Amino acid sequence: MLGHIASRLAQAIVVMLVMSVLVFVGVYAIGNPIDVLIGPDVSQELRLQTIAHYGLDRPLWEQYLTFLGRVLHGDFGRSFVFGMPVMDLILSRLPATLELTLAAVCGAALIGVPAGIYAGYRPDSVASKLIMTVSILGFSVPTFWIGLVLIMAFAVELQWLPAGGRGETVSIFGVAWSFLTLNGLSHLLLPALNLAFFKLALMTRLARAGTRETMLSDTVKFARAAGLSEWTVLRRHVLRLIAIPLVTVFGLEFGSTLAFAVVTETIFSWPGIGKLIIDSIQSLDRPVMVAYLMLVAFVFITINFLVDLAYVGLDPRLRKGGAR
Amino acid sequence: MSEAPLLEVTNLATHFHARAGVVKAVDGVSFALKRGEVMGLVGESGSGKSITGFSIIGLIDPPGRVEPGSSVKLEERELVGLAPSDLRKIRGKQISMVFQDPMMTLNPMLTIGTQIRLALEAHETVSGTEARRRSVAALAQVRIPDPDAKVDFYPHQFSGGMRQRVAIAIALLHRPKLIICDEPTTALDVSVQAEILAEMKELVAELGTALIWISHDLAVVAELADHVCVMRHGKIVEAGPTLQVLTHPQHPYTQALLDALPSRSEPGKLLAGGVGSDVAPPPRVAKQAPAPVADAAHYVRIEHVAKRFAQTPGLFRKLAQKAGLSKAPVAVQAVDDITLVLKRGEALGLVGESGSGKSTLGRVAAGIYAPDSGSVRIDGAPVMSAGEQPYKVTTRVQTIFQDPFASLNPRMTVGDSIAEGPLTHGLIERAQAKTYVRQWLAAVGLNPDFADRYPHQFSGGQRQRVAIARALAMQPDVVVCDEPVASLDVSIQAQIINLLIRLRQELDLTLIFISHDLSVVRHLCDRVAIMYRGRIVESGPAGEVYDRPQHDYTKRLLAAVPVLPGG
Amino acid sequence: MTDASPAARFWAEFRESRTAVVALAVVVVMIGIALLAPLVAPQDPYDLANLSLSDARRPPGFVGEGGYTHWLGTDAQGRDLLSAILYGLRISLQMGLIAGAFAFILGVSLGIGAAYAGGRREAFIMRVIDLQLAFPAILLALVLSALLGQGKMQLIAALAAAQYAYFARTAHGAASAERGKDYVEAVLSTPLPAWRVVLRHIFPNCLPPLIVVATVQVANAIALEATLSFLGVGLPVTEPSLGMLIANGFQYMLSGRYWISIYPGIALIVLIVAINLVGDRIRDQVNPRLKR
Repeated sequence: MLGHIASRLAQAIVVMLVMSVLVFVGVYAIGNPIDVLIGPDVSQELRLQTIAHYGLDRPLWEQYLTFLGRVLHGDFGRSFVFGMPVMDLILSRLPATLELTLAAVCGAALIGVPAGIYAGYRPDSVASKLIMTVSILGFSVPTFWIGLVLIMAFAVELQWLPAGGRGETVSIFGVAWSFLTLNGLSHLLLPALNLAFFKLALMTRLARAGTRETMLSDTVKFARAAGLSEWTVLRRHVLRLIAIPLVTVFGLEFGSTLAFAVVTETIFSWPGIGKLIIDSIQSLDRPVMVAYLMLVAFVFITINFLVDLAYVGLDPRLRKGGAR
Repeated sequence: MSEAPLLEVTNLATHFHARAGVVKAVDGVSFALKRGEVMGLVGESGSGKSITGFSIIGLIDPPGRVEPGSSVKLEERELVGLAPSDLRKIRGKQISMVFQDPMMTLNPMLTIGTQIRLALEAHETVSGTEARRRSVAALAQVRIPDPDAKVDFYPHQFSGGMRQRVAIAIALLHRPKLIICDEPTTALDVSVQAEILAEMKELVAELGTALIWISHDLAVVAELADHVCVMRHGKIVEAGPTLQVLTHPQHPYTQALLDALPSRSEPGKLLAGGVGSDVAPPPRVAKQAPAPVADAAHYVRIEHVAKRFAQTPGLFRKLAQKAGLSKAPVAVQAVDDITLVLKRGEALGLVGESGSGKSTLGRVAAGIYAPDSGSVRIDGAPVMSAGEQPYKVTTRVQTIFQDPFASLNPRMTVGDSIAEGPLTHGLIERAQAKTYVRQWLAAVGLNPDFADRYPHQFSGGQRQRVAIARALAMQPDVVVCDEPVASLDVSIQAQIINLLIRLRQELDLTLIFISHDLSVVRHLCDRVAIMYRGRIVESGPAGEVYDRPQHDYTKRLLAAVPVLPGG
Repeated sequence: MTDASPAARFWAEFRESRTAVVALAVVVVMIGIALLAPLVAPQDPYDLANLSLSDARRPPGFVGEGGYTHWLGTDAQGRDLLSAILYGLRISLQMGLIAGAFAFILGVSLGIGAAYAGGRREAFIMRVIDLQLAFPAILLALVLSALLGQGKMQLIAALAAAQYAYFARTAHGAASAERGKDYVEAVLSTPLPAWRVVLRHIFPNCLPPLIVVATVQVANAIALEATLSFLGVGLPVTEPSLGMLIANGFQYMLSGRYWISIYPGIALIVLIVAINLVGDRIRDQVNPRLKR
């Protein structure tokens, strides 16, 4: 088992390195490498200085190594648009996105899984059909559209909730979080709901499919034959059996949700890194793009690794003391 | 002394209501069972025997339904129509059930101890320590060694036989009055089956539990049951004391079932039930003038063949192993230095239990796997090419596989499946293909007009005939049969065996017949080789090996086979 | 015993679900409309001569210059919204289907190729695919669009690159499963050449799950393209897809001129939901573990 973890860790590191090469090549292959470091409207003298300083007249592989070195120190250069170090920029806006993503993901799991299990347990009931219809909508309708509808319904028509922006924040460990204030929560609700929809639909459908299959399995039949109550069967058998595919999707989709925050943040004017990346793409703020990509890569590689670990925890067949 | 029956089933009918129509899986079944009695419920697939068992314990899911008018009385109490919560209290406590495939019935995610505890808690409240004590006791009762440690194991750490024992332990937990066993030993090796049968007999006698043993295997039922019911098409066609039914059957169906058994018949002779075809197979195509057979006495030479299966670890795994963090994967030596020689026209039986390597050896002989060392030659010519990546270079050996449902491409018509090989290898021209296929279909006992049908439109036995036609259409000299009748019902099995006997004669085939079923092998084969853990432990003429076995393993194996009375 | 080929049987089973049949009809109709858009639309939304700013942002039912009744109103430039939606549908479907086709070909070849190659090469390819699957598609599409620039072909490339991995994984899984089955071993041991086995035996039997993935991916591509257009990174403004129309109308939502965004939105949703319903039904049909 230790070997398994070690090999997975080694793989993760290799992938991270590969990603860094890809990002490096991608950004450097498009346009002038100097554009990553300084804006286009800078004096010729400063240009030459920067080239010399950053060694841009060196061979490519050397430049990559310098790039890697800087990245490992957290130096991604300065943003053209904001003029501040990219790392600081990202870190200042990261908590907002994290808060949004976590709220969305937890909400999706806590509502979606039980709903899906119920729908799988009683596939022909009215409630089940309703759940499935809503989940198809959540799955199919683009996030931005749902956002629009939410704003129309709750902000414009009913005027219950604000239409955008982040609410009041409370600082914990020097980081500003908004979910601890009522005002903050009211601002968080709609965007989180918007972001959660897709994932909610996915979890529901997955839970339903898994439950349906498991209910038809011999394991459940045998458990019933032994006289276990339906509730016990659901709780102790079905849940354990569908846990693995659910955890996999949950983990993998986390990265996707983080990315989809881009859309939600745009619609709700939520000041997170999603909005940052859109603005950066449109204004060609390359240092920010590079940093964002590396960050996302890091997040999803870490999650991949954690999901692998979770597998070992969940599936006894993968542990030591293997099969006979 | 007239004792009230423990279980009284009257007019049980279970129907499945699909959009296409109603399937009457069980159509009016009645029997009674006394306390402590063992009843065998026998039938082929589709007879409704399993559904009967499920109906009694109340596990029929929609669209199935126990029809009104049915009655199942346990100690005078009516079970049909009982509220689900009341039914649940009876399941596991008064009636319990053991299923066929132990791999699927235990939850791989929970320890054995947890699963036993859940079954306990379903009917009683027990403390943690008490639950553990009883779990260990339950495992000991079914003769699982070292139960104290085994309680914390997961299902995948047990063998098939042990898993079934665990399932039986769970069934016995609350000392039920009746246990229904649905083909519990069908998926197990013969020797394991024998052990479990013996244990069941003891347990039943000890605890006074009544038993309904559902099986397709008459011999197994004969070992265990006091009386027998034979089912067909949802109805009981014959019932009575075991010995009587098996030695003096009244109903023609029962008689036919018994006649179809190879153990009841003289080896080599056609079994009752016919072949289903009198048509001679098409003549051999002479591609070039057939070379005279070089050495008929050593026609097929399998020499020092060995085959090993090991998982090749990925790059990172190898590194981890080097760093001492991980162990090297365990390799399986499936076939361990085997040498076999077959005469032209001989039928050799390869017998063994699971893990013996017989299937692997068969596949090496057929050219499906390349051996790690050694060679296979047919009439002097090698089966595999030389070099790093050997591939099959001859069409003279073909294979018939076990599972008729998996061995045909579901998206190709049977005609295309049969014609594909011969066309690719130039044995026939495209223009002749249609006629050729029709000839072969007729030869295996199928309507030639069925060439345009798809596999799903045929039954299991018919599909196996198609598979035989496909193999033989390549005009091989040697045919490897890998458990070709294991998945078939007894009556169909007889027909296919007859077909093989006849075709072998007419085409002068050399057969390698792989099976775990000793009686089938005895019936069909001239010589027999017994395999155990990748080696041949004994071989010789079939009669010799069966009547005067030399090796211990052979003796054990033969002793474990359940025998029919009067057979 | 039904006298039918696998395809006919498949269709018969499909027909059993009324929802799925209705959904399929909707998809077919929408494709038809999209194909015929130039003939069917009352007005050519790209013809600048038809635009008149005085007719801009008019509510549904408005009768504009030239006597047209704008059944769904007009947008910010004075275009007839109904026509714009029809053309937008055309573009959205184009994007989805073409990108899906490319992704299908690339992904399936990779997946089946990996399964056939086996060993190290297979492990390597599938690891790369797995990692790409974990990378959010929208991000990939965003970045590629930004890097490649605007334009139909670039967008198709971006969408296909974001999606081929799903096809690859499904194809690989299906091909590996089929490879282990007896009929493949039987046919290989005739012996038949490997390419023939892959083409005539393995591939056709991989089709059912691939069809499921294809429907989901086409729906996804359409949604993704709409999202990208909404964010301003997708197609150029001259060829508005449904997403672009929604984006353009977004700013007018709050002032009550909802129709400019809502109607294109409804068209988009109906299309995507219908495709997903069809895919859902096929998925249930194809799943062996649901057969009782």
